[in-house]
Amino acid sequence: MSYFGEIYTGAVSLIAGLGVTGKALFQPTVTVQYPWETIDITPTFRGHIELVTDEETGNFKCICCGLCQLNCPSHCISIKSSKPEGAKKKALDSYMLNFTTCSLCGTCVEGCPADAIKFSDDYNLAGFSREEFYFDLVKRAREEK
Amino acid sequence: MKIERNLEEHSLYLNMGPQHPSTHGVLRVILKLDGEYIEEAEPVLGYIHRMHEKMGENRTYAQYLPNMGRVDYLSALSYNQCYVGAVERLTGIAPPPRAEYIRVITTELNRLSSHLLWFGAYVLDLGGFTPFLYSFDDREHILDLLESITGSRLTYCYFRFGGVSKDITDDFITGTRAFIKRLRMHLPMYETLVTKNVIFINRVKEVGIITPEAARRYGVTGPALRGSGIKYDVRKNEPYSIYPEVDFDIPVQDGCDALSRYIVRMLEMEQSMRIIEQALDKLPEGPVMAPKVPKKVKPPKGDCYFAVETARGDFGIYIVSDGTETAYRIKLRTPGFSNLSIFAEISRGTLLQDAISTMGSLDLVIPEIDR
Amino acid sequence: MLLSKTKTAIESIFPLEIKEADYARVGYHLEVILDAEKVVSLAKVMMAQGFYLEDVTAIDLNPDMEVIYHYAHTEGCCRVTGRAYTPRHAPEVPTIAGIYSGANWHERETHDFFGITFKDHPYLVPLLLPEDADFHPLVKEDGKVKQLKDIKRAEVKEQAGAPAAGEGKPAPAGGEKGEKA
Repeated sequence: MSYFGEIYTGAVSLIAGLGVTGKALFQPTVTVQYPWETIDITPTFRGHIELVTDEETGNFKCICCGLCQLNCPSHCISIKSSKPEGAKKKALDSYMLNFTTCSLCGTCVEGCPADAIKFSDDYNLAGFSREEFYFDLVKRAREEK
Repeated sequence: MKIERNLEEHSLYLNMGPQHPSTHGVLRVILKLDGEYIEEAEPVLGYIHRMHEKMGENRTYAQYLPNMGRVDYLSALSYNQCYVGAVERLTGIAPPPRAEYIRVITTELNRLSSHLLWFGAYVLDLGGFTPFLYSFDDREHILDLLESITGSRLTYCYFRFGGVSKDITDDFITGTRAFIKRLRMHLPMYETLVTKNVIFINRVKEVGIITPEAARRYGVTGPALRGSGIKYDVRKNEPYSIYPEVDFDIPVQDGCDALSRYIVRMLEMEQSMRIIEQALDKLPEGPVMAPKVPKKVKPPKGDCYFAVETARGDFGIYIVSDGTETAYRIKLRTPGFSNLSIFAEISRGTLLQDAISTMGSLDLVIPEIDR
Repeated sequence: MLLSKTKTAIESIFPLEIKEADYARVGYHLEVILDAEKVVSLAKVMMAQGFYLEDVTAIDLNPDMEVIYHYAHTEGCCRVTGRAYTPRHAPEVPTIAGIYSGANWHERETHDFFGITFKDHPYLVPLLLPEDADFHPLVKEDGKVKQLKDIKRAEVKEQAGAPAAGEGKPAPAGGEKGEKA
């Protein structure tokens, strides 16, 4: 191709490209200025897990069977439960979630026979130390109340 | 393969990576340069090696599912599909038709998102910043769609043995149709902006030549192979799931260079959209999980191989079961591993700048190579 | 067509070693069980037949490790699995990197994970593991390693299985369609 021919084709493709980007200048902005604006997250969002309380009794639905602990691929759940004197069912003492190793796969939620855990919609998670992500879900649920 | 260091020579040894932006992850390539020409290149792997295969031997079959989203995070659903396919073949669980359709729809959406990311990142490697922003805008819509049904945006864990974890909604179907319409409008824009751009063509044309013969010696698959004129796609050659029921073409280019591989991927996007549209039209009603899937999957003794076509090529899983709840051996055959192994040969004698262009055209995802 | 052609080609060199497999259940058509020394001649046959190498891998078994070669074809659906056995205490197999260049990396990886020496390999240093790694992650502990019979399908099933079992059992979904094509 001749020298001037090359300049011509170069100029044409340059202008074509500028046309595309120029058009985008007049299109509505799609970027959301995050900390000031937020978009709604989907109801299926998988955050860290949290305990479900029974609306009628106000107790946790958890039956302390330990299936979530057993099913978890990264062993990040540990449950402590005890049977108070005279009570029929076991009660949850602590439900520790080590969120630093959790991969949010949802195996625990799916495997739960009592539907006692669900995903939270909490995604603003940041902290200064690893320890901040060792969640005690029992404590968390009580604080929320 | 090995670079002998000879300090007497007037060669320059250059480490490209492990933090070089164009290696898309942590890949290091030792280059022996003569001026600007590459005399020898040696990729050094293992910076993000996580030993997924060993994890497979220590976890139950169901517990290994989340790993599949992390081997190749850009087309996680293809990997999900391959793993559940392999276990289903081993155990004889048959997923219901609706689940198979949903699997294909979501996997093809995932393939689109992977190609869109590759497109943006490849042009970015070559110095064009704007297309990256446009393709990420489009990709964002796919992530939103997939998030609405799978719950995650990147490392999906959506398929289960015998089905999928959640049925798709009407919103997802209308959203997908709207997205396809949108992407169809945007693809010509990409063509004007990039494919026809003179600078881009000069950077990729006749660069990184993979001859069909070399491709076979190295086991190159996927768009990299189809850019060398060989029509090989696992979806057609060894049909699985519902691919025999939908009508689509395998784009092939015989330029053997980076441009051909680029064009193959751009054409593939259109084919993926065709597959999604047909699957949405034909989507049967019914359950999304097989009725009798045991809580604890315990395949009989024996081995099995299952391959799928991911966005990067032929991905295969070889499972050996000893009849217990955990696999005795899981081998992941990743396409990127073989595709990268040809890099040393095709970059020999080329310019350093062409190496960037060649590497980008192979569409490398390092976690998938290192596993 | 492709399958029968391949079968004849392999049979001419390995008449005793070749075995047909039930594709719908195992995902490959032919299985070739070899002595460790013969993997190179199998690679030559596969190269001549136009196959590409999927991967090279191994399984840790007692007393012999199993080295596996997966081959596939780009023109049709035909997968061939080669198996070779080598003693666990000193595993050694000849390299096929001279025939399939891609095997170079696959063999280095297998060397990393299992400690199998590939004779005459051009550059057998760790690929995925650190350069100074002195362990082989996929070699099992002595208590956990199994024998070949523990991972093979029961023979009885196989003999009765091939023609008859397909009807009685629900065929795996992917496999059934694969056969049609």
